[in-house]
Amino acid sequence: MKHVLFAALAGGTALTALPALAQQSECTAEPVTLRILRTPGNYPYPAAIEAWQQEHPCVSFEINEVPFAQLGDTIAVQAASDDPPDILVYDGPNTQSYAKAGILLPVTDYLPEGWDDDILPATKAEHSYEGEVYSPGIEQTTVAMYYNKALTDAAGVTPPQTLDEAWTWPEALEAFKACQQGEAGAPSVWGLGPTRFGNGQPGLVYQDLIYQRSNGDPEADPESTAYKTFWAMAPDGSTVEGYLDTPEAIEALTFYRALFNEEGVAPKVGIPNAFFDGKACFYIDTPAAGSALLKDPVIEWGITPMPYFKSPVVHTGSTTIGVTARSNNPEIAAQFAVDMSWGELAYMNVSQRGNLPTLKSLFDRFPIYQDYPMKVFVDQLEEWGQPRPPSPYFAQYDRVVTDALRSVAFGGDPEEAMQNAEREVARAMRR
Amino acid sequence: MTAIDRQMDAPRAAPRPARNARQRKDTRTAFAFLAPFLILLLVFQYVPLAMMAKNAFMDYSLLNPDAAKFVGMLNFEDMFYFDDARESLAATFLFALIVVLIVIPLGFVLALFLNSTLPARALVRTIIMLPVVTSAVVVATMWNFLLDPSNGLINGVIALFGLPRQPFLTSPNQALIMISVMTAWQQVGFATILFLGGLQGVPKELSEAARIDGATRWQVLWNITVPLLSRTTLFVVVIMTVFSLQAFAPAFLMTDGGPNSSTNLIVYHIYKMAFVMQNAGYASALSLVLLLIVLGISLLQMWLLRAKWNY
Repeated sequence: MKHVLFAALAGGTALTALPALAQQSECTAEPVTLRILRTPGNYPYPAAIEAWQQEHPCVSFEINEVPFAQLGDTIAVQAASDDPPDILVYDGPNTQSYAKAGILLPVTDYLPEGWDDDILPATKAEHSYEGEVYSPGIEQTTVAMYYNKALTDAAGVTPPQTLDEAWTWPEALEAFKACQQGEAGAPSVWGLGPTRFGNGQPGLVYQDLIYQRSNGDPEADPESTAYKTFWAMAPDGSTVEGYLDTPEAIEALTFYRALFNEEGVAPKVGIPNAFFDGKACFYIDTPAAGSALLKDPVIEWGITPMPYFKSPVVHTGSTTIGVTARSNNPEIAAQFAVDMSWGELAYMNVSQRGNLPTLKSLFDRFPIYQDYPMKVFVDQLEEWGQPRPPSPYFAQYDRVVTDALRSVAFGGDPEEAMQNAEREVARAMRR
Repeated sequence: MTAIDRQMDAPRAAPRPARNARQRKDTRTAFAFLAPFLILLLVFQYVPLAMMAKNAFMDYSLLNPDAAKFVGMLNFEDMFYFDDARESLAATFLFALIVVLIVIPLGFVLALFLNSTLPARALVRTIIMLPVVTSAVVVATMWNFLLDPSNGLINGVIALFGLPRQPFLTSPNQALIMISVMTAWQQVGFATILFLGGLQGVPKELSEAARIDGATRWQVLWNITVPLLSRTTLFVVVIMTVFSLQAFAPAFLMTDGGPNSSTNLIVYHIYKMAFVMQNAGYASALSLVLLLIVLGISLLQMWLLRAKWNY
């Protein structure tokens, strides 16, 4: 028991003690402690912190971690307090919400020369608000469709491996049906496995809003429903009226609903590890799943680009790093946040987590992304990547639209669901 | 003579005897012992309650409380203008009604069983108390697996009989009933213990006298036990109703308030409005309304179920 207690105490203090121990240069100024709020296992990682501390020996760190599901609530409570954390590692699409609320400090003045040319456009759009950059971004993710090669081979299905050959959704549905084993709606092997995000239920904006967006056209007349369908929110973030319940969106959502109901090729609730246990032919996930399978190939697998209706699109975004406006040490905190996302330190952080970098110059340093299968992610990011609709009301939009998409997946009427969603988002925007 | 004159001439009440040093010391000691609790009560109950009442008339988000502005009755007007409050309250009342309708008779029957001399009482007591002491998260996770629309145990049994699988938590028509049944299953043990306490307090002489006079067991139960348990019944009904109106975990852990807001229980809705939708003023207004509703229902139930018999 004594050993367990000792181990717990040692472990509990390790997070704060480790960086301090690593300080090798001598501190000759006032010591500063930066407080970081992040999710477990997220960056900034110890190696990058220690390297940074070589140049900043007077800075130590106190790290607090909360599960991702509680991160938004925790930030809402802590960020507005008199003594907030200095650094937040938060869900990227919330940047504009936090900027509008005055939680985040603009870091534009701290960005290094060349940042503008090096950063992915989708990342910059997501993290900017009213002409200021509020987060330099560290990593980027997007989703693609993994497949179980043994199952697809057995079904005689050959998924495409490049973007120019990507399936449309009706083509993908035929593959799901061909590969699925068992009764529709309750098979032993699903055509399309459940998401690992959230509670495993469908509807997440990150993964499922792209069905209707891909039935739009970004190049169409801005007044057309095709244009509004693709953007899913006014480009300036001012309204959603007429952007979610367009005929194109309803058509796509009717197809989406059929996947879970009439066709019965996708489950309505989560099944832990369904894809990795061979219980699903196809599965939509980020590069994290590929990184895990490369390390431990429990199945024979491949990646196919995300299917689409008319305009290929995938959502970008990940957690990102920002500085609180009420930080007691804004200068050094901003410097730290920017340094963590630039050059060698950015590489150290991104390489440990296994996602994609936000800096184009770093892509060459990740060999796994140079070739198939992981190259699909890079190609998608560069050619199809779009941020989730950037808006100061994204948090509210995300929740309302997720609920609407989920009700459609559960068999609800797409038009009614999207009309209600537009009304609810408009209500949030009224404030 | 005016009324005031008469009042002045009336004999004055006897002055209170002077408190001696011992009594004053006792009073100070009593306050010293009570102070920690009273301060905690004030700081953590009444001050937040007052702040909530004030915030109900403000428009603000938790992300930026400094930008709060007074909006008068807007938050209360929104409850009528938008459907969410009405739908959420309706779902909550229906949830509470189903829970109470299941828990009260079932709890009473189980208490009668535990109060009897029938065998296996210890086993039954353990079985019905286990859900009460089990974490809500564990219970919700377990029922999520049981109610899985594709591969859940309950659907497996249904399929064995050749019946169609049920969507349960993914159906707007079934989800509320399912979380009500789950909550009733979890709470019935608590109600049983309360009823058992009441049953063991009923004087045995009354039922023995009735039996000697020729009353059947059913007549004893219906004409003696049930009336004499009215105070306990009142307590259980009030407790279960208030518990149900304040339910949060089933909506948070199992359904996210869906599908189509069918399980959007009011406390979960308040949480969602404050923390997700960042509309803390509206959430405060909803909380205030809920407080008044719970108070009103409790008072009404106490009046309707007031005891006519004492023992």
